[in-house]
Amino acid sequence: MAGDIDLTTSGAVESALDAARRQGTVLVLDLRAVGFMDTSGLRLVISQQQRAEAYGHRFVVVPGSDKVRRLFEIAGFPEEHALFAGAPTELAGGDGA
Amino acid sequence: MSAGPEGDRFALLAAAGEVADGTLLLANTAARLLGLVVPAFADVATLDSISPDGELHRLGSRVDAPRGREELEAALLRRRPLPDAPVGLPRAIVSSESQLLVSVTDADLHAIASSDEDFELLCALELRSALFIPLRARGRAVGALALGVGTSGRSYDQDDLRFAEVLAGRIALALDNATLSQTVTGLERRLEATLTNLAEAVLVREPGGQIVFANSAAAGLLNLHSAQNVVDATPQQLMDLYDVFDEEGRRLALGDLPSSRAGQGEEAAPLLVRNIIRATGEERWLLHKATPVFDPDGSLSLIVSVIEDLTEVKRAELAQRVLAEAGQELSSSLDYERTLQRVAELTVPRLADWCAVAMRQGDLLPQVALAHVDIGKVARVRDFEARHPAYLTDPTSAAEVVRSGEPLLIPEINGEVLSGATRTGEELELELARELKLRSVIVVPLAIADQPPIGALSLATAESGRRLGETDLALASELGRRAAIAVENARLYGELSEIATTLQRSLLPPDLPAMPGFRMASLYRAAGEQNEVGGDFYDVFEVPGGWMVVVGDVAGRGAEAAALTSLSRYTFRTAGKLLGDPIAALEQLNTALRESPALSLVSVCCVRLRTADGDAYADLVLAGHPPAYHVHRGSARPVGVFAPFLGAYEHGGWEATTIKLEPGDQLILYTDGVIDTVGVDDRFGEERLARTLSDATGAADAVRRIEHALVEFAHGSQADDTAVIAVERTSRGPVETRALGLGDAARVAPN
Repeated sequence: MAGDIDLTTSGAVESALDAARRQGTVLVLDLRAVGFMDTSGLRLVISQQQRAEAYGHRFVVVPGSDKVRRLFEIAGFPEEHALFAGAPTELAGGDGA
Repeated sequence: MSAGPEGDRFALLAAAGEVADGTLLLANTAARLLGLVVPAFADVATLDSISPDGELHRLGSRVDAPRGREELEAALLRRRPLPDAPVGLPRAIVSSESQLLVSVTDADLHAIASSDEDFELLCALELRSALFIPLRARGRAVGALALGVGTSGRSYDQDDLRFAEVLAGRIALALDNATLSQTVTGLERRLEATLTNLAEAVLVREPGGQIVFANSAAAGLLNLHSAQNVVDATPQQLMDLYDVFDEEGRRLALGDLPSSRAGQGEEAAPLLVRNIIRATGEERWLLHKATPVFDPDGSLSLIVSVIEDLTEVKRAELAQRVLAEAGQELSSSLDYERTLQRVAELTVPRLADWCAVAMRQGDLLPQVALAHVDIGKVARVRDFEARHPAYLTDPTSAAEVVRSGEPLLIPEINGEVLSGATRTGEELELELARELKLRSVIVVPLAIADQPPIGALSLATAESGRRLGETDLALASELGRRAAIAVENARLYGELSEIATTLQRSLLPPDLPAMPGFRMASLYRAAGEQNEVGGDFYDVFEVPGGWMVVVGDVAGRGAEAAALTSLSRYTFRTAGKLLGDPIAALEQLNTALRESPALSLVSVCCVRLRTADGDAYADLVLAGHPPAYHVHRGSARPVGVFAPFLGAYEHGGWEATTIKLEPGDQLILYTDGVIDTVGVDDRFGEERLARTLSDATGAADAVRRIEHALVEFAHGSQADDTAVIAVERTSRGPVETRALGLGDAARVAPN
């Protein structure tokens, strides 16, 4: 993902994630190129996290910028949270979705 | 040679072409042409015409020389080329082939010269190169052009020869045209036959104005029975048959027309006029062109006018333009009364002399827009409207059209129609209609397909005398349809924003309650779109042992967000009042949110304010929310332990942070609309917020500082709602406070 994730773009991001989720067992949301994200982005992450739990696949977030990290921290996802653990290295350079 | 860049040569050709299109006298034509050629392409040039009997007539000469230019030109004008010279002009004419002398030698000059004196003249021109071009037009030799360079240091080559031949083509044409207009009398009869059968209207006048010729096309265009009727009328008599306006709607007199200007010997530019035939009210757009024809002695001989009928073209163009401009007006504003007024003004005077729009309002049909070519009449009609409200049941044409939905076209208003079209038949109104001198009326419904009309748009002609027809009706109907859509959109939007405002109000407390020992201030700014309810809320309420202050944010906008906001606010308030404990209240809300079918996330910052032994404390809990700020002695410090959103997980592990509030301390709660506010190249952010708050002097000051900072920082429209609530511990003495105990929860009642 690249750009900003906010109320106006989160719908498109969600569609992209839903499409990507159907193609494998590990879904990586790479936010390193995302400059800004607001609560609508977090809503998306939590929604995907819950679907991963329900359907038994892995969902991993690569948080990227300080602003995005801060947002995760505020939302109760500290750095060591399982959400950020185990991003497959071969995917780390891709666009994530 | 280096006779200037390509662009100059094209300009030269174009200029020569223009001379060819003109109607200058032969001598003037020659002077103009030579002036174009020297010095741009030659230092010396002469132009000759050839009479039908093969005689050369020198039309002009031009020399670009530092000294003795006039003498040289005069000598060249008098010069008669030696008819049998082996090189030069006569040779070019006889052979019909251009000649290029790349370097002019003395031998050449001797061959050309007719005498010693002539040789001296040729030497004085200091020629280096010369070109001799025969001029041909319409398949015959019409003249010859001689060009020379020398004094400028230039010389000619093959390229120049080719260019000179192209140029000579234009010059030949110009020369030929000028010759033609001089011999027009000889062709008169043949010409008349041609003109008579032309599709374009042609009128020929004498300088005195008397029409000497008109073809049948002219008679048709001027609405006269025959060409003879046209010839029998004086120009003024003809003019009196019409109302003539220019494109801007200004009335024109006979003297304004190109034929009159040409009659004064002036250059007359073509003029597009709107012609209304007085007898029938028929409108025509006519392009008048007039050309003066001069006698050989230079005096004005005739004025030839050609009138082209552009009615269809012009009407189609006008209709397009009115619709396009109306479309812009209609989509640019949601204030429909003002928009309709602009649309009415667009149609006047292009389509009609006045335009009125009436809108249905219950049983009434008041006029909401009115435009008239005569401002005084607008006031007159408005005044009448004010004294005589129009009812939907009135027998007026507008009411009739609104009731039936059928458009109405009255091409010709007579007295009978007029009294029928007035709504009460009152003498007064009849008088008004007469006063307006209505000729033709169109009334179309303002209606969206299959829906009852919401009003009517009327177009009428009076002053212009123009008769409205089916084309106008089609255009007006389309205008009515577009206006109706715009009005409906504006109404819907207005209703929506009203609902949104009402709903938003219900999500916020009407007033902040007075809390002994504390002062509060709040700020709420809804995001840009008027008709969307945002997801921010705040609330302040009394709980056992103190007060609860909460700021929350629901992800999303619109009806869904509004419902969730409402649920959150009231659940938290009820739980808070009953349980008195912020974490317990949050858990209640979490459970409620988890029960809703869709993922419903709410971020909250809540604080319980309480006092113990005269000291004030705040127990603050965050759920998915950025930290609150504690302003204490000139510095703002973030407060709170980050924890998950409400509605995300069954157990959130929310933690309370307790701080002591000294007198003068403030606690600032806000939603992320504050820190997410977009600036020129950054977001407002937490650090900027902390700096903004650091030396706030009280609750009201803190809120004011945030508002000012956001207004200054923001770039573009506000994207998200913004809520701020500031609590200040007042410095006034010990505070009355109730002891905290389990019993309180039971006996506390909603305030």
